[in-house]
Amino acid sequence: MIDLPTTCGFCSCGCALYVEPVGNRIAALCPSTNHPVSTGRLCIKGWNATPSVTGENRLRTPLVRKGDKLEPASWEEAISITSTKLRQISSKSGPHSIGVIGSAKTTNEECYSLAKLARGVIGTPNIDSACRFYDASLIPALLETTRVPASQIDINSIASAGSILIVGSNVMDQLAHVGSRIQDAVENGCKVVAVDSRVSRLAPQASMFLNSRPGTDLAWLRVLIRTIIDRQLYADEVPEMRGFEELRNSVGDAELKKLVDECGITGEAIVEAAEALAKNKPVVVMFGLGVLQQPESTRIVKALADVAILLGGSVMPLRGQNNAQGASDLGLAHDLLPGYMSLLDAGARSKWEQMWKCVLPSEPGMDAARMVRACGSGEIEALLIFGENVALSAPNTDQAVAALDKVEFLAVADMYLTQTAELADVVFPACSFLEKDGTFTNIERRVQRVRKVMEPIGESRSDLSIIGALASALGASLSDDPAEVMAEIAGSVASYENVSYGSLDQSWGDQWPMEGAETRLAPIPAAESREEPDYPMRLIASRINFHQQTGTVASRSAVLAREYPNTFAEMSSADAEKLRLRPGNPVRISSKSGSLTRRLVLSDSVMAGCVHVPFFFGGDSPNVLASGECDPVSGVPVYKACAVRVEAVK
Amino acid sequence: MNVGDTLVLKKSDVTMFFASIAHDMRLVAPKRRFGGDVIFDVVESPKEIAWDYGHDVYPPKRFLLPHYEDMFRYQANGDVRIEDLGEAPKQAIVGIRSCDVMAIRFQEKFFASQIVDPYYKARSDNTVLFSLVCNKPPKKECFCICCDSGPYLDAGFDVEMTDLGDEYLYRIGSEKGLKATEPGAFMLEPAKPEAFAQRKRIELQADSLFRTEAYFAKAIMFISTNDVPDKVWEELGSTCFRCAACTNLCPVCTCYTVDDRPEGEGAFVRCRSWDSCQFAGFTREASDHNPRPTFGSRVQRRFYHKASYQYIMRDGTHGCVGCGRCVSACLTKLDVPSVLKRIRRSMPEYLEPRKTPAGEV
Repeated sequence: MIDLPTTCGFCSCGCALYVEPVGNRIAALCPSTNHPVSTGRLCIKGWNATPSVTGENRLRTPLVRKGDKLEPASWEEAISITSTKLRQISSKSGPHSIGVIGSAKTTNEECYSLAKLARGVIGTPNIDSACRFYDASLIPALLETTRVPASQIDINSIASAGSILIVGSNVMDQLAHVGSRIQDAVENGCKVVAVDSRVSRLAPQASMFLNSRPGTDLAWLRVLIRTIIDRQLYADEVPEMRGFEELRNSVGDAELKKLVDECGITGEAIVEAAEALAKNKPVVVMFGLGVLQQPESTRIVKALADVAILLGGSVMPLRGQNNAQGASDLGLAHDLLPGYMSLLDAGARSKWEQMWKCVLPSEPGMDAARMVRACGSGEIEALLIFGENVALSAPNTDQAVAALDKVEFLAVADMYLTQTAELADVVFPACSFLEKDGTFTNIERRVQRVRKVMEPIGESRSDLSIIGALASALGASLSDDPAEVMAEIAGSVASYENVSYGSLDQSWGDQWPMEGAETRLAPIPAAESREEPDYPMRLIASRINFHQQTGTVASRSAVLAREYPNTFAEMSSADAEKLRLRPGNPVRISSKSGSLTRRLVLSDSVMAGCVHVPFFFGGDSPNVLASGECDPVSGVPVYKACAVRVEAVK
Repeated sequence: MNVGDTLVLKKSDVTMFFASIAHDMRLVAPKRRFGGDVIFDVVESPKEIAWDYGHDVYPPKRFLLPHYEDMFRYQANGDVRIEDLGEAPKQAIVGIRSCDVMAIRFQEKFFASQIVDPYYKARSDNTVLFSLVCNKPPKKECFCICCDSGPYLDAGFDVEMTDLGDEYLYRIGSEKGLKATEPGAFMLEPAKPEAFAQRKRIELQADSLFRTEAYFAKAIMFISTNDVPDKVWEELGSTCFRCAACTNLCPVCTCYTVDDRPEGEGAFVRCRSWDSCQFAGFTREASDHNPRPTFGSRVQRRFYHKASYQYIMRDGTHGCVGCGRCVSACLTKLDVPSVLKRIRRSMPEYLEPRKTPAGEV
């Protein structure tokens, strides 16, 4: 067994684990006992991490499109085709016709270097991470309110929360260690107020489980805020805070009485929830993708942050991907530089222009969702994608696939031949987190060491080495030594200044410090109503415990893939009866944008008027139903609460 | 020197003693890792053995039943050929706790019953267990005292060592242990009466220090007679995180699955890896029917194996050695002591008074 632990590459809890490599596979795996998160425990995906990443279909050589087919090629050929193509397109149409989408699953060093490659070497402002397809709306919202675009507390302190408000997250299945600490908190007397459109495994822990109609979180949150203010349940210092009056005025029209019709939650329940939270301190406010992928997601996150600030509590966004935090911290975004420096800030711009020896525009580039659309319109002519199965994770799957198919040049780096890689002109075989060095930053801002515990499978390489090779083919020099890259990060990004590989060999890693910026309350105006009569039902899309992301990695484990071998959709028995649908039979779920067919299962956990579709079973994606509409502030596509119709397949 | 002899080994000689043994076999022992973690592993030198280790998360059962192992390679096209890949190195597991010794004895019996498992048997034949008495329970989750499997043993070990301060009391429990002792026998001395007295004191003290209790008897009765209502199992199942750490880390659990890993050109490797009764896919049949369809029913299955008359009759003991790993590995409270307590304490609220006349079962 390898002497030093590494960090799990599945979710953002960031457990430390030990592995024993034998050739191209892993013969043993166990959690660390003393690591502050894993504490001798792993979730189902952690336990099955190794078969997932060493699956038999791992890409072993670069692939290059010859005619209709992707053929094995050498690294030299793959890199040279890519760099030649990028040069051609850049000189023909300008660097802004090139887009780069990175992954929140790669290391901090890789995220940083990819941003540098895009802005500094290629010279395009179109750089973003796949967080855009998941949870990026929390960043503008929290930058404006708590001023910490991350969790304000660590995982272990959840257990001492007095009350927890948790919205739109099946946390028990998605982030097991957070879920486990919530159970500990409940045992210590914590009151959990859970709000979700589907009864999840959190329900037995909740003092109050409120079923909200999908897409109505903003409405009840405005009422909750108004209740807290009207009943003066807020913390003592709140009336002096910046933004208090604006917030109070903005929710003046939120009425308890209208709530039941609109959201399915009664006014009494909101008052009870407000009192339960205010009476049981400290308060922790958590939210997951159920919130982060709704219409107006940024505004909803602001409302949730306001609730936390009003009650003197903390915010913990439940981000799923193992390095979502690090990818955001290190500037893998179209509108921000590393360390969340704004492109509008001339000082920050000139600092990074000197660092990266380039010219930075003050305007943001295209975000990931827009880049995919721009592939269709021809605005983007070359797209580089690292470690994200965009064909499945982008909204409006049919359009997205057509766009990726149409773009003049597509290069994809991934571990497996994903649906996205199948469309590529060049595919780079990337290695897994077990085959490279680096760091991940977990959900509690802890920067942790990822250690190479086995040699890369086949000819696969780390993303960092692929980025380095591309840079050098483009005439620049980017280090492919992770320690060197981390030293550059530590020297230029304030929150990472104490991070070094030397110190990470002595400890489990520290949480980056929260700046002492003054928190602000944000006004929360109402949103427009969104009824669509032809599509009377609402979609609830969620992920099953045993799956992760689009299934690129998790589906390779026989144990994980075995639990839910078949796709299905869930609906209440009352709705099924009303629509004359039989359980076990296929049903068609359609929206304005597309449709998919699933086998119907009856479930009382789904509220009336809703259909629940677990996502990503081997290429079947409910994102076909997403129109491509995005949150206007963050550009995160709307995947939740889509208006749909359900009918029997004749 | 005979089986049953009790000797002493000076601590100053312990490294040399195990070095002499290591000529013949590899040493597997508790090894210190990063941040205070301890994991049983192959050690290059007996100097690496962490004799005073506390909590080890990953049971040494993996040196007899590996987490993942290649069993054989076969060629499916052309001439069918089978190449055995089983490995059974000679090994001494040194410093293993009493509970883990008893767990291995349980597994040996299981893998030798009905059809003998040649992979397991070859390994267990080549393994000598040097168990280490727990002078105090190494962690608060320990409850071996409730399972007759520690903190010290009367039988079952090949060699048992008790820490007496400056020396170890060295008891030889089997022919295998006797043979393994031979190369270092010159370092052993006969035990004086005071050493036996000290061992007795250690036993009494160790027995008094347990902080976790699992009273099996009443729970076994309810489980065996199927008197635990489904509602209780489902309630327990609803809290499960489905991680299967309870069975992975249980030193007694024996369940595995097999997989064929393609190597190209018609060659496959048959691999075996730990599996868990806590997965739906473990019992789902080809027809899609699942005899254990709910999480609760799978928790029930696990406890039926751990604590029911039926399995005690088959195995001679209940399927738990009280190592406490399920307590520390579970993301919720589905460990043996907690579930047994739940069943014991809460049964009256569910039970109707029995209508069967007294005396009749």
